[in-house]
Amino acid sequence: MGLIGHGGKPLVERVITDKAEAKKKIAGLKEVPASRQMATEAIGIAYGFFSPLEGFMKKADVDAVAQKMELADGTLWSIPLVYDISDKEIADYGIKEGDSVLLTRNGNPVAIFDIEEIFTYPNEEIAFKVYGTKEEKHPGVARTYAYKDKFLGGKITLVNPPKIREPYTKYFLTPRQHREKFKELNWQRIVAHQTRNVPHSGHEWLMKHAYIAAHGELPVESMEVMGKAISGVLVNCIVGEKRAGDYIDEAIVLSQDQLRTAGYFRPDIHMTTMTFWDMRYAGPKEAVHHSIIRANLGLTHHMFGRDHAGVGTYYDSYEAHRLLMSIPKEKLFVTPIFVLEWAYCPHCGEVTCIGLCGHWKELQKFSGTKIRSILLDEVKPTRLIFRPEVFDVVMDAAKKYGFGSPFVTPEYLAKAAPAFSFEPL
Amino acid sequence: MAETFPINIWINEERFKALQDAGLAGMLKEELAGMKVMIVSCSEAQRDKVLKVFPMAKYDAATTKSIELLPKYVKDKIYDMAVKRKSLAVIDEFLAGFEKAGDAFWNQEIA
Repeated sequence: MGLIGHGGKPLVERVITDKAEAKKKIAGLKEVPASRQMATEAIGIAYGFFSPLEGFMKKADVDAVAQKMELADGTLWSIPLVYDISDKEIADYGIKEGDSVLLTRNGNPVAIFDIEEIFTYPNEEIAFKVYGTKEEKHPGVARTYAYKDKFLGGKITLVNPPKIREPYTKYFLTPRQHREKFKELNWQRIVAHQTRNVPHSGHEWLMKHAYIAAHGELPVESMEVMGKAISGVLVNCIVGEKRAGDYIDEAIVLSQDQLRTAGYFRPDIHMTTMTFWDMRYAGPKEAVHHSIIRANLGLTHHMFGRDHAGVGTYYDSYEAHRLLMSIPKEKLFVTPIFVLEWAYCPHCGEVTCIGLCGHWKELQKFSGTKIRSILLDEVKPTRLIFRPEVFDVVMDAAKKYGFGSPFVTPEYLAKAAPAFSFEPL
Repeated sequence: MAETFPINIWINEERFKALQDAGLAGMLKEELAGMKVMIVSCSEAQRDKVLKVFPMAKYDAATTKSIELLPKYVKDKIYDMAVKRKSLAVIDEFLAGFEKAGDAFWNQEIA
């Protein structure tokens, strides 16, 4: 039996790895240049990150996602994956329904796109139903409003696996490779930590909290021996389009991994990988989308904290929790672990969960803004707040990849090499 | 009392000693497990001017209610000026110095 992904459906794998076969299949196809986002999503679809999708959505799926938060076949789905294209491009490339075209990136082959449907769908409708607002200052809404005239729906087959650049190479695993790794580690339960941050110790404790909750009633005896863990934490970093002021992806991936390397997590219970995806900041709907991706990676549990994937004040702090709780268990293929904030308590002299500690008036909450301010000032924080080894990795990444800053700057946006590229076949 | 808008300058051990010598150590605030922060307060007019002169900076009205994302070299200069003047009320002088000298200001000694 093959691997099973989200929705209880077979894990999608639409990749031609044999170069000769790929060359044969693409011979004579019209070439259509794909944007960075479309190439990113084509990779994700082909490897099964978005199973059961086999391609970009057709109108029935987009409509069902917008109106009912499910695909046309009833599978839970929260964010449309669409291929947008202008009328001019359709005319210039002579694209019509029933065609198969070759998507290219910087002139190199990416994927065969079987165009089954060319359609329109009101962007405002997508925006309001998915993001709960029509305001263009919401980055997901802005992305939606920027869609071109038409959408193309149909299956994707990757013909040219992407080349992942350093330092990401070892962190990019396909859903199948994730599952092989979990099997090798003998993990029966795996909890996802979704992140786009470098970790302070508040994050570290969120992961520990989620790990203990996910491990639950499983036996612990074997874990007295290093290397015999039966459950684990997967830090799955989202790598995609950046905005000025975000942490650079290199710093995120490397610093998360440093928590294991420096021993804050045992090597047999912690792993860092990455998924290519442009954050939509859809809050609760994005939380559902993350659960779908992680189910496809083979995870059993997913941690959801405060303000999961939100932006500004569009969503309540625990709106994602409420939406996930409203979804019938048989439709959600990971078990959510809901976590409260962890903060430093000077009275206890430790980092503690705000749901446990009674010294509420004394708690010093971790603020992302404060941590950024400390890093910008290049002042090494106390180890209770930010692990010194992690700080060193962040600062190294700043020098090596961030043009001196751990944060995305205009220079980084202009000069940083893309995380993946395609070579000639 | 008029509302003030802080610039937070985080202090390491080396700087802490310099601030002790300047008699400013008692004005530091402790945050996040004993980390020390020097809070340079701005008036509303000073805040607006800082944000105008350094467009990369932002006022975080939602959480910390402080002026954030000032580059290190800017905060370093404010820190140096505070130590030299033995005072945290240096924003007017700092802004005037930058307005007068432009980018040359960053390499100028504080008189």
